Amino acid sequence: MTGTVLEAIDIGKYLGIGAGKFQALNAVNLAIAGGELTLLMGPSGSGKTTLLSILGCMLTPSSGAVRIHGLSTAGRKPEELAKLRRDHIGFVFQSYHLFPTLTVIDNVRIALDIRGESSEQSTKKATEVLAIVGLANKTGSYPRELSGGEQQRVAIARAIVGDPSVILADEPTAALDAENGRAVMSVLAQIAKDPARGVLVVTHDPRIVEFADRIVSIEDGCIISDSRPVGSEDVALQA
Amino acid sequence: MSLAPKLAFRNLFQDRLRLIATVVGIGFSMVLVTIQMGLYVSFEKMVTVMIDHASADLWIVPRGSKSFEDPSLLDEQERFRALSISGVLEAVPLVVGFARWRAPSGATSPIFIVGADGREDGLKPWNLVEGNFESLAIPGAVAIDQSYFDRLETSRIGESAEINDRRVEVLETTRGIRSFTTMPYVFVSPDLARSLTDTPPNKASYFIVHLAPGVNAADIRDQLRARLVNADVLTPDEFGRRSKKFWVSGTGAGAALLMGSVLALIVGTVIVAQTLYSSTKDHLHEFATLRAIGSPGGYIIKVIIIQALISAVIGFCLAAGIGWTVVWATAETALPVIMTPAITLILLLLTILMSVLSAILAIMKVMRIDPVMVFTR
Repeated sequence: MTGTVLEAIDIGKYLGIGAGKFQALNAVNLAIAGGELTLLMGPSGSGKTTLLSILGCMLTPSSGAVRIHGLSTAGRKPEELAKLRRDHIGFVFQSYHLFPTLTVIDNVRIALDIRGESSEQSTKKATEVLAIVGLANKTGSYPRELSGGEQQRVAIARAIVGDPSVILADEPTAALDAENGRAVMSVLAQIAKDPARGVLVVTHDPRIVEFADRIVSIEDGCIISDSRPVGSEDVALQA
Repeated sequence: MSLAPKLAFRNLFQDRLRLIATVVGIGFSMVLVTIQMGLYVSFEKMVTVMIDHASADLWIVPRGSKSFEDPSLLDEQERFRALSISGVLEAVPLVVGFARWRAPSGATSPIFIVGADGREDGLKPWNLVEGNFESLAIPGAVAIDQSYFDRLETSRIGESAEINDRRVEVLETTRGIRSFTTMPYVFVSPDLARSLTDTPPNKASYFIVHLAPGVNAADIRDQLRARLVNADVLTPDEFGRRSKKFWVSGTGAGAALLMGSVLALIVGTVIVAQTLYSSTKDHLHEFATLRAIGSPGGYIIKVIIIQALISAVIGFCLAAGIGWTVVWATAETALPVIMTPAITLILLLLTILMSVLSAILAIMKVMRIDPVMVFTR
């Protein structure tokens, strides 16, 4: 484990308006360190996705601050936040969100294309990461020709191809069967071994706990526990 | 190569039915613009066709004359005054006027008589198909254009008809000398023209002025304007502009054609805007994904603009193809549609402009995307 790559400090978030307004997050503090895979678990409506959206610079907190790679997100304009995302964050979504009209390699390349990288360079890097996720032989396929697990691995390849400091994954195994879920988590766990990169996985899937270096539980917008499973380097509990 | 064009292309071609509808929409709105513009240009050219083909350095026209087809009479004194100015070589009288053509079947048609003597320094028929220029000197000889054969019930030289109850014989035929009015031009000799239009020998409709080589036409024009009291002196350009102003602007005909073009452009813009908007809505999650993974707004705008441009180019090709077919089909008619390379380029630019403007709605929609939506689906 190395330094903090992503940090939420006293995050509060109100959602809704008028009588429907409610506090989705309350004084949340969370630091994601490089070299570890953190699971953020909690029941539906606990604030997991809201927190993930704030950590991913897609939602502005009502209070508190977010730091990505030491850079504060406060006061940044949408274009600046987009730049923070493309430079420092890789996303893996529950529904994969691949581009159905692009091939596997182009789906990965697009993360570099939006950065203005050359075609040669992006193709080379995309080929490398597709090999890492075990899809070297699927570069020319279209998403519809892949299984759910394979599509999610393409999404992971897209998330890591830009070499981000943090990967945020939203329920990456929710749409997968046990075998594919394990395969996807294995890839994410492997990626999390890089000390320069932290992985945060939002889930309520108990089957993937075994891959976690750390488990953070959230309920009613508050973090209620922060622990390390027995067997990991150090065990700490924070209630 | 950047993936933006590929993404745009694939987005468009993914729904081929919608693409066909878009392209047909663009194509036909541009066909309409092409035809309206082609007619407008044709109309403009035809308005000045006689002025353009006369070998005049200057025109002496009756004061206030609005166009070539608005004849009244000038006194020969004006011609002599003109000739008295140093630098004026010749002032050739031209007699024009309205008359009635009666075909052998008895059918009548209004015509516009042009009295030409076949001289190089006057106004003689051009694009001769049959006969020769000198034949107009034969008493009763006329020259008509092939495009009016049906109207005048004539199909070859040697056929007879009557103009204002006087027997005439077709001894020359031409190609492409068409009037924008409903009246065919009929070339006759100056004497016959005088006789048919009741123009006295000491009068003329216009004087075509020829200047000595090297003199300044504007200077002579100014001198003539000072000398001639009941006439306007105009360069061919000035006479052409005056004619266009009268027929194109003054009568509303040009405005109607231009308005048709504008309406076609608006219809085309709405069609493309609607299609791009619905295509963008269909791909909203993809654009949201792009935004979520950090795409700059400019990249997404580029994808949409490229979609618009691809639609524009395909639509333009369709329109150009149909447009050129219309040009070919109307080439020999009384009102041909004209399409020049310049018009083609203007149409391409208009199509592109139309399509890019159409993309604004889609761009506005996509720029308001909340990337958070990628977590909710």
